[in-house]
Amino acid sequence: MTQAHSVILKIDNVTKLHGQFKALNTICLEINRGEIFGLLGPNGAGKSTLLSILAGASKPSSGFTWLDGMEIQPNNLKLRARIGLVPQDFAFYEDLTAKENLVFFGQLFGMHGEVLNNKVNEILKIIGLDDEKAHQYSKYFSGGMKRRLNLGIALVHSPDILMLDEPTVGVDPQSRNRIFEAIKTINAMGTTVIYTTHYMEEAEALCNRIAILNHGEIIACDTLQNLLSLTQTTINFSIHENDQIKSGILQKKLPELKSDPLQGSYSLTSHKNSTPDIINLLVNEKIQIINLHLDSPNLEKVFLSLTGRHLRD
Amino acid sequence: MQSFIIAKKELTLLIRDKLTATVLFGLPFAMILILGLLLGEGFGQKTDDLMRISVLNLDKGFGLNNKPWAQHAIEDMVSTPNIKVEIIQNKELAEELVKTGKRAAVIIFNPGFSDRVNECSFLSTGVNPFHRDGIYLEKLQVSIVKDNKQPATSAIIESVCQIALLRIVMPWMIGKAFEKLGDPEFIELLGKEVSLPVPPSLRLLIPKDKIPLGELLELASGKDVVLAKNYREKVGAGIQTALTGQFKNYNLTGKSWASLTRSVNNAETVNTLTTFKNEDGTGILKRGAIRYQILVPSFTVMFAFSLILISGWIFVAEKRQGTFNRLLSTPVSTPSILLGKFLPTIIISLFQIFFLLGLGKVLLGLKIGLPSWALSDWMIALIILPLATSFCVASFSLLIGLLSKNETQLALFSSVPVCLFALIGGCIFPWEMMPDNAKSLAFLTPQGWALDAFREIMPSSFDTTTDFQLIWKSTLVLTGMGFILISITWITLGRIRFGNS
Repeated sequence: MTQAHSVILKIDNVTKLHGQFKALNTICLEINRGEIFGLLGPNGAGKSTLLSILAGASKPSSGFTWLDGMEIQPNNLKLRARIGLVPQDFAFYEDLTAKENLVFFGQLFGMHGEVLNNKVNEILKIIGLDDEKAHQYSKYFSGGMKRRLNLGIALVHSPDILMLDEPTVGVDPQSRNRIFEAIKTINAMGTTVIYTTHYMEEAEALCNRIAILNHGEIIACDTLQNLLSLTQTTINFSIHENDQIKSGILQKKLPELKSDPLQGSYSLTSHKNSTPDIINLLVNEKIQIINLHLDSPNLEKVFLSLTGRHLRD
Repeated sequence: MQSFIIAKKELTLLIRDKLTATVLFGLPFAMILILGLLLGEGFGQKTDDLMRISVLNLDKGFGLNNKPWAQHAIEDMVSTPNIKVEIIQNKELAEELVKTGKRAAVIIFNPGFSDRVNECSFLSTGVNPFHRDGIYLEKLQVSIVKDNKQPATSAIIESVCQIALLRIVMPWMIGKAFEKLGDPEFIELLGKEVSLPVPPSLRLLIPKDKIPLGELLELASGKDVVLAKNYREKVGAGIQTALTGQFKNYNLTGKSWASLTRSVNNAETVNTLTTFKNEDGTGILKRGAIRYQILVPSFTVMFAFSLILISGWIFVAEKRQGTFNRLLSTPVSTPSILLGKFLPTIIISLFQIFFLLGLGKVLLGLKIGLPSWALSDWMIALIILPLATSFCVASFSLLIGLLSKNETQLALFSSVPVCLFALIGGCIFPWEMMPDNAKSLAFLTPQGWALDAFREIMPSSFDTTTDFQLIWKSTLVLTGMGFILISITWITLGRIRFGNS
């Protein structure tokens, strides 16, 4: 399989204007078949706008988007059948049961009879609403259950690509894990997933590749590992007061070491792999370590290093 | 197909929302019922241009031309301009109508009325019904039951009665008196009372200065009794002829007002004599009350068009909640989605119309159609007209729902078709209670056309025919309005479809 064939979704110079405001600025991305692709960025970065364009719900001001070589257009009904969209809002009918909601949307995708029934039961199982909850009005569901139903509706027609717009907003950890499991299950079945979030932990936990969006622009796009390599680990440790006299040795062997002699604490920013070397040095010099703390790289740090501000600012 | 799936979902949601369903169907009927019980029988009726005189005729005697005098009095009132005479069936009803304030007064011609009128005479032996201000009603066995709370109206009714009686009794008494001029008793009396001077040439025969007329006639007859009677009759006839000649503008023997005054009926309008009909309904619900013939069509039309707000509200709520966008993400075309929203509005509107008409018929005794209607007439009235109305409502709902971005806009946009048009269209105040030119304004609104046709299929008690041309015209106009609204929706659809882009 060539690289060209593995690309399921291509975004080419997409710009979106809301009046004078540039919500998206010349976005270029390629998303591979079968991957979980993360769109990470703070609120207002343009994630939902981009997802809306990819789902065919709105038109870009300029640029193009293709799904498997077909241009995504709002009126292309065939393309809609291949896309599953999980909006940020609870977009289902609260006076219908979970099962009725799934059946209703399944019917709109042309499903019926036993095929629909089997698929609905399968989805209910995946999203963990397969017991008596399937027959409860969804207005009585908890926030987490509503999120799961919101996800389930997008899956009922077995889309090739699933787009999730912040699907874990306001849910408890247990429901979040169930949503993650469901996404992984669906992805394992071959569905490509685009996941937008402003929670770096979620992107780290789920995504194969991540694009970081800021002010409508892609500021980074790579695998998690490569993104994390953009920042370094900080090792913080403090030594026993009797060993303070050996600080000169440390400074000599580790010139980049920052120290606070009065507190007896030291910090060193370096590659994560150098941590064992530092510990070995301390042990060899018989320096007693009072505490040691590793400040590992994460996407928050990556975002901070790229933009100078925090993700949740 | 997908449109039907969406329509089915909409109807399922409505059925499950019991409060909305109750309001949708229960509120219009509750309003009809409450207003039906609160409003008087005159509601929605055109104000009378004529003064209504209610009469109870119990007269058992006979008068002029072998007709009861009460009948003469009633005919006199009927032929009086600006008066409408209504016959009340019995005394209990007359008293009830006055007691309940529905009539200011009822004139009662009691059983002895004709006999008493017959006895009226200028003779000392006769009944003298007159007094300074008119006629003693009690002497003629006429009574008036009055509502003390309506003294002005009852005084006018009594005046009308007095005038009618004067016009009956006075000519009758004059005529009878004129006839008396030929009576032997009158000539006898005249003969004694009138003395003529005896000329000097006849003094030898009649040695008197003056001689009574009676003696003169006896002398002239030569003591012949038959001839004397003949002369007396000739004197009587002569007096009558002389008086007739003297007062030739009057027929002193006519005994009726028209005859006495030699008047020709120049009245431009001929008033009709009506019989009292209970239009206030019966029982607790006032079943069969005429006002339901106004209230039911008015509220049926008004609440049918209020669906614009409800359907629009559901539409806007869907857009706000995101379910509409989710529908747009399915492989269903936007027109199919809109059709799925359009169909339930038609179905709900039809159900609402049939519900109100059905309940009105069963509980309120609403009169729908006429016995003369053929099956095709019933189909026009109960299928085609409601369908056209519902089509117009659904088209309006779709446009308003589509144009409104939020609930505030919806409230503003729908206030025009729901409230203002209902007011102009005559759904809130019947046309009869509005200025004359208001009805022409009503036809600028769909409510006005719908109401005109619905009122035609629910006739008042006086209607004997149905104007099906009017119903067809309204149906076509409503359908045309519906198509225009759909066209506007279609034109704006593209813009709305990408409204969030």
